[in-house]
Amino acid sequence: MMERVNTNMGGATAALDYDAELMLRVKDGDGASFAQLLEKHRSPVVHFLYRMVQQQAVAEELAQEVFLRVYRSRGTYEPTAKFTTWLFRIATHLALNALRDGRNERNQERLDERSDDMPALQVEDRRPSVEQAMVHQATLDEVRRAVAALPGKQRAAVLMHKYREMEYTQIAKVLNCSESAVKSLLFRAYETLRARLAHMA
Amino acid sequence: MKCPLETREERVLVAYSSRTLDGGDKELLEAHLQSCSACREFVRGQREVWEALDGWEAAPVSADFDRRLYARMQREVSWWQRMRGRMGLVPVYRALLPVTTLAALVLAAVLLERPSPPRVPPQPVTAQVEGLQPDQVVHALDEMEVLDQFNHMMKPDSSTPRM
Ligand SMILES: [Zn+2]
Repeated sequence: MMERVNTNMGGATAALDYDAELMLRVKDGDGASFAQLLEKHRSPVVHFLYRMVQQQAVAEELAQEVFLRVYRSRGTYEPTAKFTTWLFRIATHLALNALRDGRNERNQERLDERSDDMPALQVEDRRPSVEQAMVHQATLDEVRRAVAALPGKQRAAVLMHKYREMEYTQIAKVLNCSESAVKSLLFRAYETLRARLAHMA
Repeated sequence: MKCPLETREERVLVAYSSRTLDGGDKELLEAHLQSCSACREFVRGQREVWEALDGWEAAPVSADFDRRLYARMQREVSWWQRMRGRMGLVPVYRALLPVTTLAALVLAAVLLERPSPPRVPPQPVTAQVEGLQPDQVVHALDEMEVLDQFNHMMKPDSSTPRM
């Protein structure tokens, strides 16, 4: 059993965002507010987890656990930070645990065999040649391998920064570290990616 | 501006490459980039990484994601429901809770008053639900109320993939 994720984000006095208000309504027993939160954050959480563990089924399983924990914790929920900070803290925690447990240890093989749960290339409109599509797929595989090779925390930082457009301060709260530590994580991560992906240019 | 590569301030370049550098810092760096080919090269490389990451789409979430989630939530409380059935609890249980809690406390106090009884006291009837705390029961009842709401919200025809 993984340890409980604390809902206290270290005394930050964040303004009450709308999500936090919804969560307080969930705390009061309003299921519709939970459904609203789920609707809004389902895809961001699953996509983040997918890019963390790179397997759709595992990502969705972890995301279910994230929302279960949100729901279970409603009784003790206090809006001491942005709701998404709390949400992604749970998600990151579960993803790092899953990576550590090796739940996706076949990941590398799957990258090689190009699993079915990969999203299809967005090729319908431009109708590129087969060759172009293959180049695109190869590029994508390179990107995924490069991200998968990053240490867990760096990976999480990059994914939140790049795809969720999170500020350094929020990433710091999610990862429970200082803002300068986040800058350092991001710098190292992007540098590693640049070194790995440089030959593609 | 001093060259960020020379002052080990590459983070500024990373921030610029990811378009998160604003205001005066951005203008200063852009001025520096005019004259520094090393920094231009660094930014070019970082921008390529940024664009490569842009091409990585995530798959839509499975259409039955919510249904599976609510089913899991339902399973979590069904245990409490079964327990409630076994204990023969009626919906007024919650109203009686303070009374039963008080009774349990009185019983405990009585037992503590007599630390070494000459014979084993008869097992209280609640022994079969060992570990079941009154507040947990209330919690489970709350869950069921909320889950009832979910059941109303879940539509069986939600087959469109969620983006
Ligand atoms: Zn320079």
